[in-house]
Amino acid sequence: MVISAATILGRSISRRVVASTLVCAAPLALVSSVSLAQQAPPLKIGVILPLSGNFTPAGEDALTGLRIYFDQINNEVAGRKIQLIVEDEQGRPDVALTKARKLVEGDKVQILTGFVSSAVALAVNDYAREKKIPMVVSADGGANELTTPGPLSNPYLVRTSQNGRTPSAAAAEFVFKQGWRKVAAITSDYAGGFDTIGGFAQAFCKLGGSITQEQYPPLTTNDYGPYVTNIKRDADAVVTFLPGANGLKFANQFIELGVKDKMPLMDIFGQIAYEPYLTQLGANGVGIYSVLHYTPMIKTPENERFVKEYVARAKRLPSDNGPDAWVGAKAIAEAAKAVGGKVEDTEKFLAAFKALKFDSPKGPIAFDKFGQVIHSMYIRKVEKVGNDYVNTPIQTFNNVDQFWPFSLEEFESYKYRYVDLKGSMTDCKKVLEKK
Amino acid sequence: MIWVIHTLNGISFGILLFLLAAGLSLIYGLMKILNLTHGSYYLVGAYIGSTVIATTGSFILALIIAPIVVAALGAVMERFFLRQFHLDELPQTLLTFGFLFIFADLSLWIWGGDPIMLPKPALFSRSIDIGGLGYPTYRLLLIGVGLLVALILWWFQERTRVGAMLRAGVDDAEIARAMGIDVSLLFTLVFAVGALLAALGGVLGGPIIGAGPGTDFDVMLLAFVVVIVGGLGSLRGALVGGLVVGLLDNFGKIFFPEFALFTIFVPMAVILSFRPTGLFGRA
Repeated sequence: MVISAATILGRSISRRVVASTLVCAAPLALVSSVSLAQQAPPLKIGVILPLSGNFTPAGEDALTGLRIYFDQINNEVAGRKIQLIVEDEQGRPDVALTKARKLVEGDKVQILTGFVSSAVALAVNDYAREKKIPMVVSADGGANELTTPGPLSNPYLVRTSQNGRTPSAAAAEFVFKQGWRKVAAITSDYAGGFDTIGGFAQAFCKLGGSITQEQYPPLTTNDYGPYVTNIKRDADAVVTFLPGANGLKFANQFIELGVKDKMPLMDIFGQIAYEPYLTQLGANGVGIYSVLHYTPMIKTPENERFVKEYVARAKRLPSDNGPDAWVGAKAIAEAAKAVGGKVEDTEKFLAAFKALKFDSPKGPIAFDKFGQVIHSMYIRKVEKVGNDYVNTPIQTFNNVDQFWPFSLEEFESYKYRYVDLKGSMTDCKKVLEKK
Repeated sequence: MIWVIHTLNGISFGILLFLLAAGLSLIYGLMKILNLTHGSYYLVGAYIGSTVIATTGSFILALIIAPIVVAALGAVMERFFLRQFHLDELPQTLLTFGFLFIFADLSLWIWGGDPIMLPKPALFSRSIDIGGLGYPTYRLLLIGVGLLVALILWWFQERTRVGAMLRAGVDDAEIARAMGIDVSLLFTLVFAVGALLAALGGVLGGPIIGAGPGTDFDVMLLAFVVVIVGGLGSLRGALVGGLVVGLLDNFGKIFFPEFALFTIFVPMAVILSFRPTGLFGRA
């Protein structure tokens, strides 16, 4: 899809206009209100997202999802005006922390939300815990440790988006069921990559399959030719996690060097089968499998309404960040309603938040006791529908919690952390070794 | 046979590196400034190429229009901005750093933040058979075009009057000026040609490296490495440096995958410690 200059221009202008009207609207509403004394102070929500730099598309997706829900309820809940204060963290943890301090101490926001990069989420996590500010992670920030018992766990944090390992576990189930027992893995060389392929290795080994080759291209790889040529052709399938532009660069070489015609590709997290890339890959992308907790092709009234509104605003199909942020916004509003608008009572607000259950564009939603969302995982396959290339859901796993398909006890019984398994994912004995 | 493919991969990436580095090397050779906008020429070239392909469907047109537009940008930059600090290299380099950010933001504004890959020309989207393994003809095209560009540049530098003036300017700008050579015009010309080569790299490299926010920095870094290995100011250095880096990077990733992040920089460090001026550079 070619986005014209005018569209981009219109989009960024409207973003600023909406932001400023929202900021202005709250004081105006106060003045014009007849019952001046009874008007509750606005509910201030600090939104921390990347709106410049590499992560911009994800940040804009999340902001659009958030706005769709709040606009739907006229930016008002339990008698309080909702006031969004949006800050650009530029994809940098240090900037994010400065912005979080400004939002909490300067603007006096009651809630922080957003967080695309895990590094950013981790940087703000400590601060939010110290200030006892509810932190609603509602975009890509998927670090497992944020919602599992351990030194980083934060009782004031809830997450409406996926954690790192569950899509991997779903991918393992699907790959094994296809009869593919030996897979070649290609994963970006960083913490998120080890988490993802570690989660896959653990689930896959337990089922009885094995990884026969590990490759870890750096995030800065330009030419994926060497890695694709190096794939062992005796594997049954190729499993990847290559975020950002890496997915697109890899896919092009994978297709160009003719490997795609010979081996099935499972793209964990849908980094290759990312909607804006599908139009670029065209017919070459057809047949790629991916796992994610969302696809715009989900046939439910909630999702169809969401996609329509999203396309009208952003002129493109939503990725997972849109519905994740929508769920974040709805959960904030519903929890605020449940406590009669008194979000300042943090404990009660968070208890109400974790008790929520509702239907969303990405399927039915609930939360576990750690504040991590329980949602669905979709196995998707790239298909041509009409003139468009889309991710058709071909299998759904429901009620997937963060330890799925394990229990918390089993999850904690394994000896090695995923990052320590780098280089020995091919050794199932080590992968499954208990403490 | 897999080694033939690995070697071809390395050579084609090396040729691409040559295209990216040649302009940087030319500009430094004559003007002694490190043009930090070089990666932006690649980025803007690739983006303009993608727009041309999307509207006309022609890769050839993209290959013609994008480099010309970017060459004009380069000429304007030199004529109206760098000229303000004539022969003052440090402010000029800083100015190119400013342009890097301006081009990055303008590109984000016009083309959005999603990374793109340029589609390959239909004629070269197939593979040929090499010992039972498919090999994309596009990479062979890249090698051919890169060698052709190298040949043209060599001819231009060694066999034309402007080339002779250019060599004189590189050797001793002051004496060249005293001999009546219009060095100032040469500066603009070289800047335009440097930008043109980078944009050509942008269109040709678009189907392999792609373009997106941050690609400008990546490409600039690659070009620097090649130029340091080959020697600043030498076209021959850019070609040999590109091939050396391309091949070492490719085989480094195969044999020492755990050092993949450094396979590009290790040869640079080694060569710098033995030949600080690079393979073909002059002290």
